[in-house]
Amino acid sequence: MNLSMLKPGETGKIRDIEVRGSLKRRLMDMGVLIGEEVRVLKKAPLGDPIEVTIKNYNLSLRKKEAKVILVTTAAL
Amino acid sequence: MITIAVAGNPNSGKSTLVNAIAGTRLHVGNWPGVTVEKKEAIFEYDGKKIMLVDLPGTYSLSPYTQEEIIARDYLVHETPDVIINVVDSTNLERNLYLTVQLLELGIPVVIALNIYDEAKKKGHRIDIKSMEEALGVKVVTTVATERTGLNHLLTAVLKVAGNSSRYYSKQLDYGEDLESVARVMERKIKQNYNFLAEKYPLRWLTFKLLEGDTHILEKINGDRNGLCFDEVVQHLRKTYGDDIESIMANVRYAKAAETTHRVLSKPEIRKIELTEKIDAVILNRFLGVPIFLALMWFVFKFTFDVSTPFVDWIDAVISGPLKRWAMVILGMIHAPAWTTSLVTDGVIAGVGFVIMFVPVIFTIMFFITFLEGSGYMARAAFVMDRAMRAIGLHGKSFIPMVLGFGCNVPAICATRILENQKDKVLTALLIPLMSCGARLPIYVLFVGTFFSENSGTVLWSLYVMGIVLAIVMGIVFKRTIFKGEPSVFIMELPPYRMPSFKNLMIYTWERGKHFLVKAGTYILLVSIMVWLLLNLPWGVEHKKDSYLGKTGQVIARVFKPLGFGSWEVASSLITGVIAKEIVVGTMGEIYIEKKMVETTEQKTLLHDLKECGISFTIAVKDSVTNVFSTFWMKSISIGGDKKLTPLRTVIQETFTPLSAYAFLSFVLLYMPCIVASIAMRNEFGTWKWVGVSFVYQIALGWIVAFAIYQGGKLLGIGIG
Ligand SMILES: Nc1nc2c(ncn2[C@@H]2O[C@H](COP(=O)(O)OP(=O)(O)O)[C@@H](O)[C@H]2O)c(=O)[nH]1
Ligand SMILES: [Mg+2]
Repeated sequence: MNLSMLKPGETGKIRDIEVRGSLKRRLMDMGVLIGEEVRVLKKAPLGDPIEVTIKNYNLSLRKKEAKVILVTTAAL
Repeated sequence: MITIAVAGNPNSGKSTLVNAIAGTRLHVGNWPGVTVEKKEAIFEYDGKKIMLVDLPGTYSLSPYTQEEIIARDYLVHETPDVIINVVDSTNLERNLYLTVQLLELGIPVVIALNIYDEAKKKGHRIDIKSMEEALGVKVVTTVATERTGLNHLLTAVLKVAGNSSRYYSKQLDYGEDLESVARVMERKIKQNYNFLAEKYPLRWLTFKLLEGDTHILEKINGDRNGLCFDEVVQHLRKTYGDDIESIMANVRYAKAAETTHRVLSKPEIRKIELTEKIDAVILNRFLGVPIFLALMWFVFKFTFDVSTPFVDWIDAVISGPLKRWAMVILGMIHAPAWTTSLVTDGVIAGVGFVIMFVPVIFTIMFFITFLEGSGYMARAAFVMDRAMRAIGLHGKSFIPMVLGFGCNVPAICATRILENQKDKVLTALLIPLMSCGARLPIYVLFVGTFFSENSGTVLWSLYVMGIVLAIVMGIVFKRTIFKGEPSVFIMELPPYRMPSFKNLMIYTWERGKHFLVKAGTYILLVSIMVWLLLNLPWGVEHKKDSYLGKTGQVIARVFKPLGFGSWEVASSLITGVIAKEIVVGTMGEIYIEKKMVETTEQKTLLHDLKECGISFTIAVKDSVTNVFSTFWMKSISIGGDKKLTPLRTVIQETFTPLSAYAFLSFVLLYMPCIVASIAMRNEFGTWKWVGVSFVYQIALGWIVAFAIYQGGKLLGIGIG
């Protein structure tokens, strides 16, 4: 399961980041770390990108980037 | 002199704080060779001379974005005396992630805990004392918008710089595993890479080598053997089971989180915030796009309709009274005729050209600063990204592209809202295809002459042609020049905040001034050159024998297959480099050979001044009514100019409807004007992209005009 599959309002816990190099680095710098909780807020009017809350702030990213962020959605 | 660097996350209120401290002493420029704004100020405080340097807003010091590279290069190479780290109090953890990295540098840090008012309002309580203990640096609360805490901040900075503070900079403990590794590596670095240890802060260097920082690795040719690197990595992997970059990010974030937990207490129940409420509307699935377009329309209308009367006024003053009085003065000192002509037609006309951009540039800079500061710019990108991505652009590119329809120059300046160099350059390269207001006089002349029955459609087709070709070229560039460059969209959506008016004004002023000063010099040069071309050898009877005419005769051949191969047209096109509307003026001059009838009416200076004053009031009135009067763009309405009848007659003899349309598409496409070129050079610090723009546009213009003319001839359309 990855972040792009979550619907607005759903929360997940980051399990892994399936990418290397600068993209991973950027994601981590923005607080996208393994074990972190992330909640999807909404989709852009045209369906992409998405907006999520992480580390107490709002982040937007394209679905392409959300796909590499694996999450688990244990019933919270 | 004490050097202070201001560092912090984007949207932490850094610009506002720097403006509040430095005010009008702030100087806006560019970092050498790049498109990122550099702001500096030199001033005195408490008898000490201070140089304040505002670093680009960054989330981290890794070498991946241009901003990050600039910020860290400055910090490690120039080693400022003190770093002011601006921290958004409402978003401590992510802000402190940068703080943790700054502390690795060993440079004294003072934290400006900014936006403290909002944190208080939310019921957040931050224990300043324990924050100072935890990070080992002085912490001062500030509210940049209200200018509170600034004196405390500067006093603290001076104290730290003078070594009389208890707080300075602290080496944070990253845990025994990492620290022991760091100790081993530090020893090895001093042994084997001492040349690096002399240049960079040791602890920072150690972690950069550990992380495999590409810039630092280059310095040792990627060879980390002298560091017992394999053993080190083995050891860390065993403990953490992850790649080194992740380990470092985790450790640093853990430090930030630990500090946050220690110092921050906030209410259990979270209120629904204003930002969420606004976003529910503005980013709404159905309303998002219409709201964005409406806002863009407003900005566009406001910028161009409000400034047009002032532009006209400036134009009138310069070409009327100013020119007249220059002539009078030159006449009094018995200046030779060529001097008079050079001064009035070359210098004054050239300077006038620059000044005419003043209203537009300033209005646009104002809006951009407002949209950025309020937090809407990020939303605009969020809304438009899907659509813009198709042509290889970023969501934010839409705004500069739209502005291009008014004037390419502020549009190119507006590309600075983009973060990524590739996005900036690509957007700037496509902007000249957006048909700007200056091309309109040419369209009006030709469309009015040849297509008066369906003028609207023909005019519209030119605008559409520009857009379609921009899409095509966007895709072409994405596949060629910018091939393989990754495009990412990972962007914070900051909370909505009200930008302070004073801050807006200072910023608008500085950005505008920066442009005008740079542009002025070049434009002056080019307009003098064109004047020379048109008037030399001195005393030419016929424009045909001037250097311009001769050049026109040579290059006219190139235009033959496009249907307009006369030297008159070719010469006019050359002068279009200054600004496209000049093409019409030159045509008038060449075709009609009108002898300038000097106005002999004697006007007193007082009379002229009064006239200028009156016309200024009219301009103000017009600009106000323009805002409210109509829902359509004043600037894109086609007003037939009937005064040019002699010129129209000549044009009708020289062109067929088909070659006229080919000519118009060539004018639309053939090159960016000089002012746009200079804006491009200013933004990117190199003529390279200006060159690319000229080459591809001339080629594109030629091909399109060729296709239209030859295709039309084959089909037998519009030749008669
Ligand atoms: N409430 C409040 N707003 C602030 C404060 N400092 C800055 N702002 C606002 O925060 C927004 C972003 O500020 P700006 O200086 O552009 O941030 P930068 O991206 O760090 O340069 C603007 O709307 C400012 O008016 C502050 O101390 N309190
Ligand atoms: Mg700023």
